Amino acid sequence: MPERIASIENVTKSYRGRPALHQVSLDLPPGITGLLGPNGSGKSTLIKALLGLVKIDSGHGIVLGYQWPRDARTLRDRVGYLPEDDCFIQGLQGIQSVQMMARLSGLFAKEALRRAHEVCDFCDLGQERYRTVETYSTGMRQKLKFAQALVHDPDFIILDEPTTGLDPSQRENLLDRISVLALEKGKSILLSTHILHDVQRVCENVIILAGGRVRLADSLTNLQRPSQAGIQISVVAEVEKLEQQLVKAGFHCERSGVQELKIHGHPIETQALWRASQEVGVLIQRIEPAKNSLEQMFLNAVRGV
Amino acid sequence: MPILDIGYRKWEGPRSPAWTRAWVVASTGVGLVWSSTWIRRILMLLTFPSLLVAIAFGVLEQNLSESSTEQAITFVQRNREARRVLDNAGVEVKDLRNNPAAVRHFAWSYLLFTLFRYPQAFGMILVVGLVGPRLISYDLRSRGYLLYLSRPLTPAEYVIGKAGVLYTLLFLVATIPALTIYVVGLFLSTDPWAIVYTWDIPLRIIAASVILILPTSAIALALSSMTQESRYAGFAWFAIWILGHVTYSVLWSAQQFRGQGRRTQILAENYNALMYLSPYELLGYIQKKIFGLMVADTPILTPVLVAVVITVIGYTIAYWRVSRILKL
Repeated sequence: MPERIASIENVTKSYRGRPALHQVSLDLPPGITGLLGPNGSGKSTLIKALLGLVKIDSGHGIVLGYQWPRDARTLRDRVGYLPEDDCFIQGLQGIQSVQMMARLSGLFAKEALRRAHEVCDFCDLGQERYRTVETYSTGMRQKLKFAQALVHDPDFIILDEPTTGLDPSQRENLLDRISVLALEKGKSILLSTHILHDVQRVCENVIILAGGRVRLADSLTNLQRPSQAGIQISVVAEVEKLEQQLVKAGFHCERSGVQELKIHGHPIETQALWRASQEVGVLIQRIEPAKNSLEQMFLNAVRGV
Repeated sequence: MPILDIGYRKWEGPRSPAWTRAWVVASTGVGLVWSSTWIRRILMLLTFPSLLVAIAFGVLEQNLSESSTEQAITFVQRNREARRVLDNAGVEVKDLRNNPAAVRHFAWSYLLFTLFRYPQAFGMILVVGLVGPRLISYDLRSRGYLLYLSRPLTPAEYVIGKAGVLYTLLFLVATIPALTIYVVGLFLSTDPWAIVYTWDIPLRIIAASVILILPTSAIALALSSMTQESRYAGFAWFAIWILGHVTYSVLWSAQQFRGQGRRTQILAENYNALMYLSPYELLGYIQKKIFGLMVADTPILTPVLVAVVITVIGYTIAYWRVSRILKL
């Protein structure tokens, strides 16, 4: 497996003088990379630029071993793209739509149909595949777009908000499929989303984009590693009571979530924690090594943009 | 829970070259068009005029002898309209006398031109008016263009693919029936040398088809790319043909030929600058010239240039619109 799936440097793109991407340099490692950023941060522009759908003002790089953006067209045979937009070809059945995408990627008609059925099965598109796409619900359209992105067996899959419009169980299933593709089938995936939970659930690496600039790019493990040693406590309720008690007991602690506390220092005497919890009658649900929350990291990264 | 789930499987196999992908756009579009019952009915209906012309070919070939040629020439000499057709074509009656081969060539050309000019031209306007406006506008509305262009397909290839849908339809409406009639004519002919005397007619059919297909497709695609609402594009399409023809007819009727010589009148009847107002007249003029039914000194370069300019502008607009949406 290559060390880098994509490596781009100094990418700049502006729309009518308004910068969308400013000197963006990125290294995308194999595996699943989460692309995070507030609305208008340049995520979709970056994705479209990677695919060669928008012409960049400056910048260059190598994607899947191809010179980018020069070979963007050839590259598209090896990239699967699930667009954020609700897009479909009116009048086509789901299966025809997937077959057409396979043919556009060079599969011959008969093989394209066979392969289309195979990925429709994988994406849980049952008999609905024989309905015209305009009759599909939002969730089904997401599944269809996912099937279209996979049908030509790309090495690199770009998913732009893939879980939008899915119910919780469908979302979990889709995230499972994404994990399977990356972990078992060796695909590299760029997952652009607003949902931090999705990133935490499946991603190994995270890129945070804001104001057209890369604010943060690292592995999720590194990003979640706390700057100070400590532990994280989750309680069922009344976290503030426990916080006051722990401060009285000489602990240096801070709130890190709705019912969560982060206690700094090392080592921490857990007996004292249990004692404090017993004294105020607050039930401790979980104790684990402290880590930075992705939400906090995200907010810190985009702050001031 | 499925009993067997093979999950995701890797795919490896031969791929078609990138330059063939526009064909996928065209074939998908043709498949979609063909799924419409109405379009199928219209296309079927459009074969009837061809059958009539084929019958005319048969009747002509079965009666094409020296005596019947003489009868036909006598008829032409007495019939003012028939004389006008020959005059416009610059054909002398004496050249036809005792020359069945010349009569055949002229009659076949005239019948095929009539087929192109009237039933198939109206059929073309109807079919393209029903299909063309949807081709790009539907993709703009449903953002289908993103699906196409996320594959190794350039905006130019996308436009060519969409044009391919219209090429196929117009080929079915105009070229195939005309070529079939020509072949039927050869089979029905009692003269085994008929092919030698009419070898140029298939080439004329193809040239007339090209001049019909390219500019009309360009206009239809340009209109389709300019809106997300296909009905507006459809309205504009029919308006161009109807208003163009009405304007031409009104202004043509207003022109006076009194006091002009016969030759000037024939020239004016064939070539009139007013035709640039109407695509129907312009294409008809070029086709008439292609079939050799017009006096030799009528101009051809300017009308062809105008048709080429219309074609180039049409495709440029469609390409520009498709390229532009990606930049937004």
